[in-house]
Amino acid sequence: MSIAVTHGGLTAAPVPPEPEPAKVDYLNNGHSIWSWLFTVDHKRIGILYLISISVFFVAGGTAAGIVRLNLLSSSGFIVDEDAYNRAFTAHGVMMLFFFLIPAVPAVFGNFFIPMMIGTKDLAFPKLNIASWYVFMIGAAFAIWSVLAGGIDTGWTLYPPYSTRASQSYVIPGVVGAFISGFSSIMTGLNIMVTVHKMRAPGMTWSRLPLFVWSLYATSLIQLLATPVVAITLVLIAVERAWGVGIFDPALGGDPVLFQHMFWFYSHPAVYIMILPGMGVISEVLTCFSRKNVFGYHAVAWSSVGIAVVGFLLWAHHMFVAGISFYAALLFSLLSMLVAVPSAIKVFNWTATLYRGSITFQAPMLFSLGFVVLFIIGGLTGLYLATLGTDIHLHDTYFVVAHFHFVMVGGMVMGYFAGLHYWWPKMTGRMYSDWWSRVAASIIIVGFFFTFIPQFIMGYHGMPRRYPNYPDEFQFLNVMSTAGASILGIGYLMPAVYLTLSLFFGQKSPANPWSATGLEWASPSPPTVHNFDSTPVVVCGPYEYAIGVDQMGRGLPEPPGPGGAEGPHGKVGPTGPAGPMQKETHVVG
Amino acid sequence: MADPTPTTTSAAPTDDPHGIRKDLDSPGQLVVVFLAVVGLALVNIFLSKSIGPTRYTLPLQLAIGSVQAGLVAYHFMHLKQGDRVVILTALSSLFWMGILFVLFLSDYMTRQYVIG
Repeated sequence: MSIAVTHGGLTAAPVPPEPEPAKVDYLNNGHSIWSWLFTVDHKRIGILYLISISVFFVAGGTAAGIVRLNLLSSSGFIVDEDAYNRAFTAHGVMMLFFFLIPAVPAVFGNFFIPMMIGTKDLAFPKLNIASWYVFMIGAAFAIWSVLAGGIDTGWTLYPPYSTRASQSYVIPGVVGAFISGFSSIMTGLNIMVTVHKMRAPGMTWSRLPLFVWSLYATSLIQLLATPVVAITLVLIAVERAWGVGIFDPALGGDPVLFQHMFWFYSHPAVYIMILPGMGVISEVLTCFSRKNVFGYHAVAWSSVGIAVVGFLLWAHHMFVAGISFYAALLFSLLSMLVAVPSAIKVFNWTATLYRGSITFQAPMLFSLGFVVLFIIGGLTGLYLATLGTDIHLHDTYFVVAHFHFVMVGGMVMGYFAGLHYWWPKMTGRMYSDWWSRVAASIIIVGFFFTFIPQFIMGYHGMPRRYPNYPDEFQFLNVMSTAGASILGIGYLMPAVYLTLSLFFGQKSPANPWSATGLEWASPSPPTVHNFDSTPVVVCGPYEYAIGVDQMGRGLPEPPGPGGAEGPHGKVGPTGPAGPMQKETHVVG
Repeated sequence: MADPTPTTTSAAPTDDPHGIRKDLDSPGQLVVVFLAVVGLALVNIFLSKSIGPTRYTLPLQLAIGSVQAGLVAYHFMHLKQGDRVVILTALSSLFWMGILFVLFLSDYMTRQYVIG
């Protein structure tokens, strides 16, 4: 480790020279369409996923727009009841199965896990590209079901309606979700094996970036839970196609059995969605606070804790479905448990921010938005975990608001934080700092306007999935739709300035944020095999206090508004001689 | 003067540097295991047809099924060659299946108890 200890105290490690831009990087290593479609480069596969899920984000967002527009009027503004059912189902299926679940693991996980642990690729590169093809085949079935007329069951596909009565295209949608589940399993398997087997020398478990820990925990859920929903979806298709009695009481089946099996996956699945977002936030908050993350081990193990505890509480979705009272009590109690590791993360993030030299670039704004919105989403979850209050709030807009606070306010914000944080590394280009800050602010404001009214409506009894409502709810619905419009504009803005950055953006240095992870040691965009030689890790992942990266090298000047005197007007480089001097003494 | 004799005396190159293949089942062993799994399936079918559901046949059939699963995991899924992490991972799947069944049963086995 290259930190010199002298009689005068610590001195800054030398900053390595800026690496030469690679003559052949992963982007210009072949320009044909085949070089992309047959690639086994984890970075290109990450980009393929990025493009794919962006399409689904737009499609799912359009369906949400139809829902919100329709709710402008108490009797339905633009579509009839049946089309409304199909719109909110399309929104749910596309956003959950084809955006939220693959978003961070398949895009940033694929792209950055090998770079963060110091290896040249994932353990199974061909399985990796196969997972994308499987994902696209599943997506094709989902698109087929939507284009053929859609599904009207809701994304939860509850029988007996989905198997007996629905006149919509249930089976193609079910097959699409079933197939895409295998893609999720493949990605999880690949990440888990890579983390176990391919870490660079010195990259011990205690030196893994928290993003890697969070994706490791996510992979655990993907591997263990996804097969259960896969077989459940098959059983739905079998009952619908051939009338075999499994879930339909008229055929001797049990509809509550479906709910047990469905939620055994689908509740942990919300942790598949949120845990990677939490990993991104852990990276960004510590970087833009210029402080070591507070409670590294607590944050790392809380990811595993969430993954394990997340399996124990699925039936809080079923409190009014006819499960036994004692089971409901048990699940209510168990549901409270997951608040513990979640709160551990939030407290540690807050402590990381405390006395940090914070700068407010777009990744940080998105991350701060994540923390605030996730706290609200998490705390309102306690009302739904509590048996008594859930009876009142069940299947109301309160649930919709809670879910969106966690999934959109949490995960989507985390996704955008990650996109803005790693975009310079992925593309080699910087985006507009000002416009990105504006977009983050608009998204946060639009989000509050969209979903806070839904809490109020839900508390007062407006049920979810209803196209009609009493006139007294119209004001709040209009406010929510207005907020959704602001949110939509906010989401469109990154599409514009990120795209423009590809053509007009300044070239990015290797480490534009002065971050400590191994991924920043490679040029921007990275070379084909990530590193010229295998990196040797000598430090923890967040040594901002002493100002060194994981290879013990000094950090470049961090971005900030400080002009010639450095960030925040403090003289000197990052490190013990720089603005973190006070923290160095405090932290030791 | 330097000794011109080559100093490298390593063994001939191998495509099995970790010595995994020597523990692999032979094709004959795999056929025997396969036949055992099929045979146990036939036993289960026979029990169902000839005896039917009794107090003892269900546990017996589940036990036979467990042996089948164990044979598949040990031989075909290569747990036989697995290190401790792999075996721990395999056993953890049993733990998760336990979660599934125990918490399922917490509902189904207490449905008849009504409060008040």
